[in-house]
Amino acid sequence: MIPVRCFSCGKVVSNYWVDYKKRVEAGENPAAVMDDLGITRYCCRRMLLSHVELVDVLSPYQ
Amino acid sequence: MEVDILELSDRSAKFVLSNVRTAFANSIRRAMISDVPTLAIEYANIYDNTSVIYDEQLALRLSLIPLITDIESYVPQARCPTCGGEGCPVCEVSLSLSAEGPGMVFSRDMISSDPKIQPADGNIPIVDLKKGQKLVLEAIAHMGYGKDSVKWQAGIACGYKNMPIVSIENCDACGKCASECPKGIIHIEESGATISEEDLIKCSICRLCERMCEISAIKVSFNESAFVFTMESDGSYSARDLVLNAAKVIKGRAEELVGILDRL
Ligand SMILES: [Zn+2]
Ligand SMILES: [Zn+2]
Repeated sequence: MIPVRCFSCGKVVSNYWVDYKKRVEAGENPAAVMDDLGITRYCCRRMLLSHVELVDVLSPYQ
Repeated sequence: MEVDILELSDRSAKFVLSNVRTAFANSIRRAMISDVPTLAIEYANIYDNTSVIYDEQLALRLSLIPLITDIESYVPQARCPTCGGEGCPVCEVSLSLSAEGPGMVFSRDMISSDPKIQPADGNIPIVDLKKGQKLVLEAIAHMGYGKDSVKWQAGIACGYKNMPIVSIENCDACGKCASECPKGIIHIEESGATISEEDLIKCSICRLCERMCEISAIKVSFNESAFVFTMESDGSYSARDLVLNAAKVIKGRAEELVGILDRL
Protein backbone atom coordinates (compact mmCIF):
# COMPACT_ATOMS: atom_id res chain seq x y z
CA MET A 1 0.00 0.00 0.00
CA ILE A 2 1.19 3.51 -0.77
CA PRO A 3 2.40 5.29 2.43
CA VAL A 4 -0.26 7.73 3.68
CA ARG A 5 2.13 10.68 3.96
CA CYS A 6 5.43 11.74 2.49
CA PHE A 7 8.26 10.48 4.74
CA SER A 8 10.13 13.79 4.59
CA CYS A 9 7.63 16.63 4.68
CA GLY A 10 4.43 14.95 5.90
CA LYS A 11 2.17 15.94 3.02
CA VAL A 12 -0.62 13.44 2.38
CA VAL A 13 0.33 11.75 -0.90
CA SER A 14 -1.76 8.57 -0.81
CA ASN A 15 -4.93 10.37 -1.90
CA TYR A 16 -3.33 10.96 -5.30
CA TRP A 17 -2.34 7.32 -5.78
CA VAL A 18 -5.45 5.87 -7.44
CA ASP A 19 -5.59 8.78 -9.88
CA TYR A 20 -1.85 8.75 -10.53
CA LYS A 21 -1.72 5.01 -11.17
CA LYS A 22 -4.65 5.13 -13.57
CA ARG A 23 -3.16 7.99 -15.59
CA VAL A 24 0.36 6.57 -15.73
CA GLU A 25 -0.96 3.18 -16.81
CA ALA A 26 -2.87 4.98 -19.56
CA GLY A 27 0.48 6.16 -20.90
CA GLU A 28 0.89 9.64 -19.44
CA ASN A 29 4.30 10.90 -18.34
CA PRO A 30 4.59 10.54 -14.52
CA ALA A 31 6.23 13.97 -14.20
CA ALA A 32 3.39 15.65 -16.08
CA VAL A 33 0.78 13.83 -13.97
CA MET A 34 2.44 14.92 -10.73
CA ASP A 35 2.73 18.52 -11.94
CA ASP A 36 -0.95 18.41 -12.77
CA LEU A 37 -1.89 16.94 -9.36
CA GLY A 38 0.08 19.67 -7.59
CA ILE A 39 2.86 17.53 -6.13
CA THR A 40 5.70 20.00 -6.38
CA ARG A 41 8.41 18.93 -3.93
CA TYR A 42 10.81 16.17 -4.92
CA CYS A 43 10.41 14.42 -1.55
CA CYS A 44 6.70 13.87 -2.29
CA ARG A 45 7.30 13.06 -5.96
CA ARG A 46 9.63 10.18 -5.13
CA MET A 47 6.93 8.69 -2.87
CA LEU A 48 4.66 8.09 -5.87
CA LEU A 49 7.38 7.56 -8.46
CA SER A 50 9.23 4.83 -6.54
CA HIS A 51 6.24 3.03 -5.03
CA VAL A 52 5.81 -0.68 -5.80
CA GLU A 53 2.36 -2.05 -5.05
CA LEU A 54 2.68 -5.47 -3.36
CA VAL A 55 -0.89 -6.10 -2.21
CA ASP A 56 -1.71 -8.31 -5.18
CA VAL A 57 1.53 -10.26 -4.76
CA LEU A 58 1.02 -10.91 -1.05
CA SER A 59 -2.71 -11.53 -0.88
CA PRO A 60 -2.65 -15.28 -1.76
CA TYR A 61 -0.40 -15.99 1.26
CA GLN A 62 -2.62 -14.48 3.93
CA MET B 1 4.45 44.11 12.09
CA GLU B 2 3.06 43.84 8.58
CA VAL B 3 1.67 40.89 6.67
CA ASP B 4 1.52 40.91 2.89
CA ILE B 5 -0.27 37.86 1.48
CA LEU B 6 1.13 36.65 -1.84
CA GLU B 7 -0.87 33.44 -2.24
CA LEU B 8 -3.62 31.96 -0.11
CA SER B 9 -5.57 28.81 -0.78
CA ASP B 10 -7.37 26.38 1.50
CA ARG B 11 -4.29 24.22 2.06
CA SER B 12 -1.31 26.47 1.41
CA ALA B 13 -0.16 30.03 1.86
CA LYS B 14 2.72 32.31 0.97
CA PHE B 15 3.16 35.64 2.68
CA VAL B 16 5.71 38.27 3.61
CA LEU B 17 5.97 39.03 7.30
CA SER B 18 7.91 42.23 7.87
CA ASN B 19 9.14 44.41 10.72
CA VAL B 20 9.64 41.47 13.07
CA ARG B 21 12.72 39.79 14.51
CA THR B 22 14.03 36.41 13.38
CA ALA B 23 13.07 34.93 16.75
CA PHE B 24 9.43 35.85 16.24
CA ALA B 25 9.33 34.55 12.67
CA ASN B 26 10.88 31.30 13.81
CA SER B 27 8.46 30.93 16.73
CA ILE B 28 5.54 31.21 14.28
CA ARG B 29 7.10 28.53 12.12
CA ARG B 30 7.73 26.23 15.06
CA ALA B 31 4.27 26.77 16.52
CA MET B 32 2.66 25.80 13.19
CA ILE B 33 4.65 22.57 13.15
CA SER B 34 4.59 21.46 16.75
CA ASP B 35 2.31 23.49 18.99
CA VAL B 36 -1.06 23.68 17.28
CA PRO B 37 -3.08 20.71 18.58
CA THR B 38 -4.93 18.54 16.08
CA LEU B 39 -7.00 15.37 16.22
CA ALA B 40 -5.44 12.09 15.12
CA ILE B 41 -6.21 8.45 15.77
CA GLU B 42 -4.32 7.22 18.83
CA TYR B 43 -5.96 3.87 19.70
CA ALA B 44 -7.61 1.29 17.49
CA ASN B 45 -9.68 -1.62 18.73
CA ILE B 46 -9.36 -4.10 15.90
CA TYR B 47 -12.12 -6.71 16.05
CA ASP B 48 -11.42 -8.37 12.75
CA ASN B 49 -8.60 -7.95 10.24
CA THR B 50 -7.99 -10.57 7.58
CA SER B 51 -6.41 -8.11 5.15
CA VAL B 52 -2.83 -8.31 3.86
CA ILE B 53 -1.49 -5.74 6.32
CA TYR B 54 -0.78 -6.29 10.01
CA ASP B 55 -2.88 -4.72 12.75
CA GLU B 56 0.03 -2.47 13.75
CA GLN B 57 0.57 -1.18 10.25
CA LEU B 58 -3.14 -0.68 9.84
CA ALA B 59 -3.22 1.41 13.02
CA LEU B 60 -0.26 3.46 11.74
CA ARG B 61 -2.03 4.15 8.46
CA LEU B 62 -5.18 5.19 10.29
CA SER B 63 -3.25 7.50 12.62
CA LEU B 64 -1.67 9.41 9.72
CA ILE B 65 -5.03 10.36 8.19
CA PRO B 66 -5.60 14.06 8.93
CA LEU B 67 -8.94 14.79 10.60
CA ILE B 68 -10.70 18.13 10.28
CA THR B 69 -10.23 19.59 13.73
CA ASP B 70 -12.50 21.90 15.66
CA ILE B 71 -10.15 23.62 18.12
CA GLU B 72 -13.09 25.22 19.95
CA SER B 73 -14.84 22.02 20.99
CA TYR B 74 -11.91 19.71 21.75
CA VAL B 75 -9.06 20.03 24.22
CA PRO B 76 -5.70 18.21 24.30
CA GLN B 77 -6.22 15.05 26.33
CA ALA B 78 -3.25 15.56 28.67
CA ARG B 79 -4.85 18.72 30.04
CA CYS B 80 -8.52 17.77 29.76
CA PRO B 81 -10.36 19.50 32.63
CA THR B 82 -13.21 16.95 32.59
CA CYS B 83 -11.40 13.64 32.79
CA GLY B 84 -7.78 14.55 33.57
CA GLY B 85 -6.36 12.43 30.76
CA GLU B 86 -8.45 9.26 30.93
CA GLY B 87 -10.60 9.99 27.90
CA CYS B 88 -14.03 11.56 27.66
CA PRO B 89 -16.22 13.18 24.96
CA VAL B 90 -14.42 16.53 25.47
CA CYS B 91 -11.08 15.15 24.34
CA GLU B 92 -11.79 12.13 22.16
CA VAL B 93 -13.77 11.13 19.07
CA SER B 94 -14.47 7.61 17.98
CA LEU B 95 -14.50 6.55 14.35
CA SER B 96 -15.71 3.15 13.30
CA LEU B 97 -14.92 1.25 10.16
CA SER B 98 -16.29 -1.99 8.87
CA ALA B 99 -15.68 -3.22 5.36
CA GLU B 100 -15.70 -6.42 3.40
CA GLY B 101 -13.80 -7.26 0.21
CA PRO B 102 -13.35 -7.12 -2.64
CA GLY B 103 -12.53 -3.45 -2.95
CA MET B 104 -10.38 -0.62 -1.69
CA VAL B 105 -11.22 0.78 1.75
CA PHE B 106 -10.95 4.57 1.77
CA SER B 107 -10.79 7.07 4.62
CA ARG B 108 -14.33 8.25 3.71
CA ASP B 109 -15.65 4.82 4.79
CA MET B 110 -14.94 5.67 8.43
CA ILE B 111 -18.02 6.69 10.38
CA SER B 112 -17.35 9.39 12.94
CA SER B 113 -19.29 9.76 16.19
CA ASP B 114 -19.11 13.54 15.73
CA PRO B 115 -20.31 14.63 12.27
CA LYS B 116 -18.03 17.72 12.41
CA ILE B 117 -14.92 15.56 12.69
CA GLN B 118 -14.25 13.87 9.36
CA PRO B 119 -11.12 12.84 7.47
CA ALA B 120 -9.78 15.89 5.62
CA ASP B 121 -9.32 13.81 2.49
CA GLY B 122 -11.93 11.18 1.74
CA ASN B 123 -9.90 9.36 -0.88
CA ILE B 124 -6.95 8.12 1.20
CA PRO B 125 -6.61 4.37 0.56
CA ILE B 126 -6.43 2.44 3.85
CA VAL B 127 -6.20 -1.12 2.57
CA ASP B 128 -7.09 -3.06 -0.53
CA LEU B 129 -9.37 -5.93 0.50
CA LYS B 130 -9.52 -9.05 -1.64
CA LYS B 131 -12.54 -11.36 -1.90
CA GLY B 132 -13.56 -12.70 1.49
CA GLN B 133 -11.26 -10.39 3.51
CA LYS B 134 -12.81 -8.39 6.32
CA LEU B 135 -12.02 -5.37 8.42
CA VAL B 136 -13.92 -4.31 11.55
CA LEU B 137 -12.47 -1.76 13.93
CA GLU B 138 -13.13 1.19 16.16
CA ALA B 139 -10.57 3.97 16.27
CA ILE B 140 -10.22 6.60 19.00
CA ALA B 141 -8.83 9.99 18.01
CA HIS B 142 -7.25 12.38 20.52
CA MET B 143 -6.11 15.95 20.43
CA GLY B 144 -2.34 16.03 20.53
CA TYR B 145 0.71 18.09 19.65
CA GLY B 146 3.01 17.84 16.63
CA LYS B 147 6.02 17.73 18.94
CA ASP B 148 4.83 14.33 20.25
CA SER B 149 4.12 12.64 16.92
CA VAL B 150 3.91 13.56 13.22
CA LYS B 151 0.30 12.40 13.16
CA TRP B 152 -0.59 15.55 15.14
CA GLN B 153 1.51 17.83 12.97
CA ALA B 154 -0.74 20.27 11.13
CA GLY B 155 1.90 22.38 9.39
CA ILE B 156 3.72 20.81 6.48
CA ALA B 157 6.86 22.20 4.85
CA CYS B 158 6.65 25.42 6.86
CA GLY B 159 9.63 27.58 6.12
CA TYR B 160 10.81 31.10 5.60
CA LYS B 161 13.70 33.01 4.10
CA ASN B 162 14.79 36.58 4.49
CA MET B 163 13.56 39.02 1.89
CA PRO B 164 16.35 39.27 -0.72
CA ILE B 165 17.86 42.62 -1.69
CA VAL B 166 19.84 42.81 -4.95
CA SER B 167 21.51 46.05 -5.92
CA ILE B 168 23.07 46.58 -9.35
CA GLU B 169 25.38 49.51 -10.04
CA ASN B 170 27.65 50.41 -12.98
CA CYS B 171 26.76 47.20 -14.83
CA ASP B 172 28.53 46.60 -18.17
CA ALA B 173 25.81 44.13 -19.36
CA CYS B 174 28.29 41.27 -19.86
CA GLY B 175 25.49 38.76 -19.07
CA LYS B 176 27.54 36.36 -16.94
CA CYS B 177 25.30 36.84 -13.91
CA ALA B 178 22.17 36.13 -15.96
CA SER B 179 23.51 32.85 -17.30
CA GLU B 180 24.72 31.76 -13.85
CA CYS B 181 21.51 32.52 -11.90
CA PRO B 182 19.84 29.15 -11.09
CA LYS B 183 16.43 30.83 -10.82
CA GLY B 184 16.83 32.67 -14.15
CA ILE B 185 15.50 35.94 -12.78
CA ILE B 186 18.23 38.30 -14.06
CA HIS B 187 17.51 39.91 -17.42
CA ILE B 188 20.08 41.78 -19.47
CA GLU B 189 19.06 45.03 -21.07
CA GLU B 190 21.17 47.63 -22.80
CA SER B 191 21.55 49.64 -19.63
CA GLY B 192 22.65 46.54 -17.68
CA ALA B 193 21.24 43.68 -15.64
CA THR B 194 17.78 44.04 -14.12
CA ILE B 195 15.51 42.01 -11.86
CA SER B 196 11.80 42.71 -11.83
CA GLU B 197 9.96 43.40 -8.59
CA GLU B 198 7.99 40.14 -8.58
CA ASP B 199 11.00 38.03 -9.57
CA LEU B 200 13.12 39.33 -6.70
CA ILE B 201 11.18 37.17 -4.22
CA LYS B 202 12.33 34.04 -6.09
CA CYS B 203 16.00 34.83 -5.35
CA SER B 204 17.49 32.15 -3.11
CA ILE B 205 20.40 34.40 -2.00
CA CYS B 206 22.92 31.92 -3.45
CA ARG B 207 25.25 34.78 -4.46
CA LEU B 208 26.43 33.02 -7.64
CA CYS B 209 25.82 36.22 -9.63
CA GLU B 210 27.95 38.18 -7.18
CA ARG B 211 30.82 35.71 -7.62
CA MET B 212 30.59 35.74 -11.43
CA CYS B 213 30.68 39.51 -11.74
CA GLU B 214 34.24 40.65 -12.51
CA ILE B 215 33.59 44.32 -11.79
CA SER B 216 31.54 43.75 -8.58
CA ALA B 217 28.55 45.56 -10.02
CA ILE B 218 25.97 43.25 -8.44
CA LYS B 219 25.51 42.96 -4.68
CA VAL B 220 23.20 40.50 -2.94
CA SER B 221 22.05 40.93 0.63
CA PHE B 222 18.85 40.38 2.60
CA ASN B 223 16.46 42.26 4.81
CA GLU B 224 16.92 41.01 8.37
CA SER B 225 13.45 42.00 9.47
CA ALA B 226 11.34 40.75 6.53
CA PHE B 227 10.53 37.11 5.92
CA VAL B 228 9.00 35.28 3.00
CA PHE B 229 6.94 32.44 4.49
CA THR B 230 5.73 29.37 2.67
CA MET B 231 3.52 26.92 4.50
CA GLU B 232 1.02 24.16 3.88
CA SER B 233 -1.58 22.54 6.05
CA ASP B 234 -2.34 18.81 6.14
CA GLY B 235 -6.06 19.61 6.03
CA SER B 236 -6.88 19.52 9.75
CA TYR B 237 -7.11 23.33 9.56
CA SER B 238 -7.25 25.70 6.64
CA ALA B 239 -3.92 27.43 6.01
CA ARG B 240 -5.37 30.66 7.36
CA ASP B 241 -6.65 29.09 10.58
CA LEU B 242 -3.35 27.31 11.12
CA VAL B 243 -1.35 30.56 11.09
CA LEU B 244 -3.93 32.24 13.34
CA ASN B 245 -3.91 29.32 15.79
CA ALA B 246 -0.10 29.35 15.83
CA ALA B 247 -0.17 33.04 16.70
CA LYS B 248 -2.73 32.35 19.45
CA VAL B 249 -0.52 29.63 20.91
CA ILE B 250 2.42 32.06 21.12
CA LYS B 251 0.19 34.73 22.64
CA GLY B 252 -1.13 32.25 25.21
CA ARG B 253 2.40 31.28 26.19
CA ALA B 254 3.47 34.90 26.56
CA GLU B 255 0.46 35.58 28.77
CA GLU B 256 1.26 32.51 30.85
CA LEU B 257 4.79 33.81 31.35
CA VAL B 258 3.50 37.23 32.41
CA GLY B 259 1.16 35.50 34.90
CA ILE B 260 4.03 33.51 36.40
CA LEU B 261 6.24 36.60 36.64
CA ASP B 262 3.45 38.51 38.39
CA ARG B 263 3.21 35.84 41.07
CA LEU B 264 6.92 35.93 41.85
ZN1 LIG C 1 7.25 15.58 0.71
ZN1 LIG D 1 -11.27 14.28 28.65
